[in-house]
Amino acid sequence: MKSATWYKSWEFMLAVALVLELVVLGLINPAFLNIENLLFSTSDFVHVIIAAVGLTLVIMTGGIDISGVSIMGLASIVLGLAFVAGVPIGLAVVLALGVGALAGAFNGTVIAETDVNPLVITLAMLFFYAGVATGLPTLLDMMGFSVAGAGGFEAYQYEGITGLPKSFTWIGTGGIGWVPMPLIVTAVIAAVATWLMHRTRFGRFLYLIGVSMDVARFTGVPVKRTLVTVYALNGFAAAAAGLVLTAYFTNARSDLGAEALLNIITAVVLGGSSIYGGQGSVLGTFLAGLVLGYLRQGLLALGITSDVVPVIVGAVLIGTVALKIGMSNLNTRRANRAAYETERMAMTQNGG
Amino acid sequence: MMKIFKSREFLVLVLLIVMILSVATVNKAVLYPFTLINIVNSSLFLMLIAIGQMFVVQTRGIDVSVGAIAGLAAVIFGFALNAGIPLPLSMLLALLTGFVGGFINGIGVAIIGIPPIIMTLGTLGAYRGFMRVLTGGSWIESIPQSIKSFAVTRYLNVPLMVWAVAILVIVVAVLLWKIKPARNFYAVGDNADGAYLLGINVTATRIAAFSLSGVFAGAAAIVFVGQIGFVPMQTGNGQELKAIAAVVLGGVSLMGGTGSIWSAVIGALFLTAVDSMMIFLKVPGSWNNAVAGAVLLAVVVFDYLIRRTVRNRQLAARAAEMRRAEQDAEPGQPMEARS
Repeated sequence: MKSATWYKSWEFMLAVALVLELVVLGLINPAFLNIENLLFSTSDFVHVIIAAVGLTLVIMTGGIDISGVSIMGLASIVLGLAFVAGVPIGLAVVLALGVGALAGAFNGTVIAETDVNPLVITLAMLFFYAGVATGLPTLLDMMGFSVAGAGGFEAYQYEGITGLPKSFTWIGTGGIGWVPMPLIVTAVIAAVATWLMHRTRFGRFLYLIGVSMDVARFTGVPVKRTLVTVYALNGFAAAAAGLVLTAYFTNARSDLGAEALLNIITAVVLGGSSIYGGQGSVLGTFLAGLVLGYLRQGLLALGITSDVVPVIVGAVLIGTVALKIGMSNLNTRRANRAAYETERMAMTQNGG
Repeated sequence: MMKIFKSREFLVLVLLIVMILSVATVNKAVLYPFTLINIVNSSLFLMLIAIGQMFVVQTRGIDVSVGAIAGLAAVIFGFALNAGIPLPLSMLLALLTGFVGGFINGIGVAIIGIPPIIMTLGTLGAYRGFMRVLTGGSWIESIPQSIKSFAVTRYLNVPLMVWAVAILVIVVAVLLWKIKPARNFYAVGDNADGAYLLGINVTATRIAAFSLSGVFAGAAAIVFVGQIGFVPMQTGNGQELKAIAAVVLGGVSLMGGTGSIWSAVIGALFLTAVDSMMIFLKVPGSWNNAVAGAVLLAVVVFDYLIRRTVRNRQLAARAAEMRRAEQDAEPGQPMEARS
């Protein structure tokens, strides 16, 4: 039960950190605190949060999926190619999300069926999906499809696919009132993931598998089915992140999100998840994503070059984990001492 | 002798030869010595960082910062050469940069206890950012072009650089074979607690593995600068994942305790050869990653299937043996009724 309050306090600490960060940045540069500005600047980084939410579920089981960054690009280029081929945009979105979920489900199947480390499998799939994403346009070219416009399929590879309809780009650039659409999409996905993780049997299964896969198996948890589902969900989330980014850039590219891996994993770990599994929360990931995103925005607003930002993000990642390890060591030591004291007290009482 | 044939290194080597020969049926140019030497030549960078990676993976770690360390070392190397520091000293500086980068990773993992993937992912961002800060984001050019003589000068048609790396690989292989403490890497990776009880300094071994990884990344940086003669900002970008792929392909398990230097060498050769084969098959270069990923997946899954079959067979044999022992214990039973 003690760990339950600890979770709460970690998320609370993140919320406090977020508020503090905004206040400090606002004090340095008052223009930063413009509420509309604050809300709309999230569009620059919410794709990281969406992908991180999916990864949180996977990391809960003690696994990892680094191929999400490639699925983002794959979903983007699938959407673009489907659109160019004349598929209605709504169907193209469904297709892209479906490809993402399938890609994830494939990862999950291989991971559930073999004992190979998930990192190795998703590393292979990271290359594979990235290669398919960059190769798809040329494949269509070789299959004899023709395309209007200069450069043909080759150009798609380098320049991306533009001219996506307004109804789609609205997801990335539009908003309802003061709230931008990407943030709404992110909040919805995070809410659904929170519900899945904390209110359903599926969520308990994830936790049990993360604590001990063998015990989960022996107690009748459908381990394989759960793993395939959770990796599929991660693929879906990564595809959604890719589509939001596509709509925001109004450009479907195969290399979207390729640089996001460090940020995604940092958001998950800063959010309180343990990469050994059995620990983590979607809300934590969401808040951590906001903290990191605003940190980047704020540093850039302060005139710090974007080159320094990864140095700071890396330091935050390492610092957080080091802090958590230090805190848990301290707790263990305190608990040990308390146990020792009670023991000694009991001994002296018995003796005297 | 049988052990060699059964090893994963050998399997991948056979796959590599089969791949080259089957491509040769389509395009004979693959078998020209010039082509083969070129494949080896362009695999040198990956090979060196993969060798470094091997030490870390053997101790059940992972180092995703090697590409960034190589980039940082390349920048320091470039700066040193431009400052007129003599070549051997500049090389030493590059190796030292790599060592420091790896040593920091080792401290974080072995002493503070941060999971290796988190620690090195953090330093990946940090080192890469630091590299851009140092150079202000611009390429380092105007490096004395004499540095390229290593890559251009050929002895027996093979670039000096290839000879140098080949000698380095053999020396390291012999050292790993002859020096006793080198086996600590296996022991720590296989069972850290057991190694500790045997009196092996687990912390020092882990730090040494990460430091070696950094040193080899520094060596890779020297090769890289020697081959192209300047330092672009992308130096080593994305190579860390390729290095991990190479060692895993060559048979180093991420669970630690297995693999050899040949895993890294053959894995790196294979991944580089895949890229070249695509050219000879006239497949667009955009498919390279897809093929590399598919090969890696196929090899690890195939390896799993083999291991599972072997294990099942062992279990079956043991079960049969136990049944027989039971039978011997009850002499009254007729033998025929059993089987």
